[in-house]
Amino acid sequence: MSGGLTRKKGTVFLIALIFIAAAPWLLSTSYWRGILVLCAMNVLLALSLNLVLGYTGQLNLGQSAFFGIGAYVSTILIKTYGWNFWLAALAAVAAAGLVGVALAAFAVRLRGHYLAIASLGFAVITYQVLVNWESVTQGVRGMYGILSPVPNAVALFYLVAGIGLVVYFLLDNLVRSPVGDTLRAIREDEVSAAALGVNAAVWKAFAFGLGAAIAGLAGCFYPGFVGTLVPDAFGIVESFTMMAMVIVGGMGTMIGPVIGAVVLTFLPELLRGFGELRLMIYGVALTLVVLFMPGGIVQAWVGLKKRFS
Amino acid sequence: MGRSQKKILVTALLKAANLNKSFGGVRAVYDVSVDVPAGSIFALIGPNGAGKSTLLNLLSGVYQPDSGSLFFNQASLIGLPAYERARLGIARTFQKIRLFKQLTLLENVLTGFHLHQDVPLWKCFLPGGAGRFRGEAMDLLSFVGLGNRANDRAGALSYGQQRMLEIARALATRPKLFMLDEPAAGLNAAEVEFLLKRLQNINQQNVTVLVVEHNMDLVMNVAQRVLVMDHGVRLFEGNPREVQANPRVIEAYLGGAFAS
Repeated sequence: MSGGLTRKKGTVFLIALIFIAAAPWLLSTSYWRGILVLCAMNVLLALSLNLVLGYTGQLNLGQSAFFGIGAYVSTILIKTYGWNFWLAALAAVAAAGLVGVALAAFAVRLRGHYLAIASLGFAVITYQVLVNWESVTQGVRGMYGILSPVPNAVALFYLVAGIGLVVYFLLDNLVRSPVGDTLRAIREDEVSAAALGVNAAVWKAFAFGLGAAIAGLAGCFYPGFVGTLVPDAFGIVESFTMMAMVIVGGMGTMIGPVIGAVVLTFLPELLRGFGELRLMIYGVALTLVVLFMPGGIVQAWVGLKKRFS
Repeated sequence: MGRSQKKILVTALLKAANLNKSFGGVRAVYDVSVDVPAGSIFALIGPNGAGKSTLLNLLSGVYQPDSGSLFFNQASLIGLPAYERARLGIARTFQKIRLFKQLTLLENVLTGFHLHQDVPLWKCFLPGGAGRFRGEAMDLLSFVGLGNRANDRAGALSYGQQRMLEIARALATRPKLFMLDEPAAGLNAAEVEFLLKRLQNINQQNVTVLVVEHNMDLVMNVAQRVLVMDHGVRLFEGNPREVQANPRVIEAYLGGAFAS
């Protein structure tokens, strides 16, 4: 059985690889290639939130802040201090991760709605810091002329998608390991997890920190892709978009948030033909998914397969 | 040699003295002292609202007492959170079943091995870091009669089966003291019979068992000592026969049927 599972996973991995390799040549205009890069970043972000929300069950609305911390820390280190991109990225990932652990340390007694509000507050504060700490972040005037670590959009897509694939592989193993059991136990029932010796505070901090680090990693590639950096890219709306990706795809599954990220990146673009109706259709589609597929696309697919087999 | 061995047998594994716990103005547990002898099956009985579950929550660390002392293996438990007490060898089940309902039976029991996991964190990011407790978890599932349901979701089990799964999960922590809060509630006669046998099996493996129970058959058949509580206070302690004969207990709890 285990051998069959490994082979199945290998096949999926190979298909994903071919898909990634072919995508920039199937969607070969520079516009669509840009969307592909965004899509790869969104996959990373959805994976990062899913670890906290889907597996550990913590209603975290502050994920956009970690994305922003990754973007700003890496850019400031490169532009102001002349660091090499990869070194700056490493520092940015560490910074985002540490802030994530710190947020978890403060929020550890909070659950459900209270944690949601606290983490939302954290996202708002981070946004305000980016706007107001002008001597460092340039505030709303923004930073310009930021270079991508690779020469063009296709290379950037390959880079971010490749990182996404590696992160997926690592997290997929993690959630199947004893650590995954522990995180899900916290999600399901903290009191009985404690009765089994689980120190929930430590493991929540672990999930928050790792999730924040991955979001920070996605943030490192964003400024070079856009070329400019302004705080508006990291408002709380971004947090809700990430949450929509996780929920629409299927939270608490590995592939669900990936599908959610792809669908919710491309759907608004495909709806551009509808002009002003675009956002309305998008909103209605989201509502319908949550109403009729509460387990997301993955669960709906599993249900369909069961019905027709 | 013989004497020292006997002394070990009568040592209290858990020693609580003058425990108090109030909720608002209600004294749920009032000045309760109890010694749970190592290796025994110890029952805690009393009418509804007697404070049994609160006492159990004080012992397991869900609540901290307002005052009093609490020792486990000579180490004070006061101030220790529940997860630290689990580390010391205290396991429990809940009156209102608290399983991980979305997880499979096997995953529920595997989570119970949390304290014994020794896979380094970095290995959990690589394939094959599944840990080494699968076999033992399956044994525990078979022990409680659920060996053939390992891959079902816990939420799909019947009530009685859920109680047995909670026992298997708690046993995975390898406790020295196993506390069960009304394990027979909602079980049919055959299930109670099975539970009784399993409690004795667990006790034979050198695990001290403390059971809060309403089911008198279970208490009278398996317990060596019984503590009776009423209205938050300690009413009487003795062996089952003494409890059955004690007029105060009969008056407070067992009622007229036993008095005649």
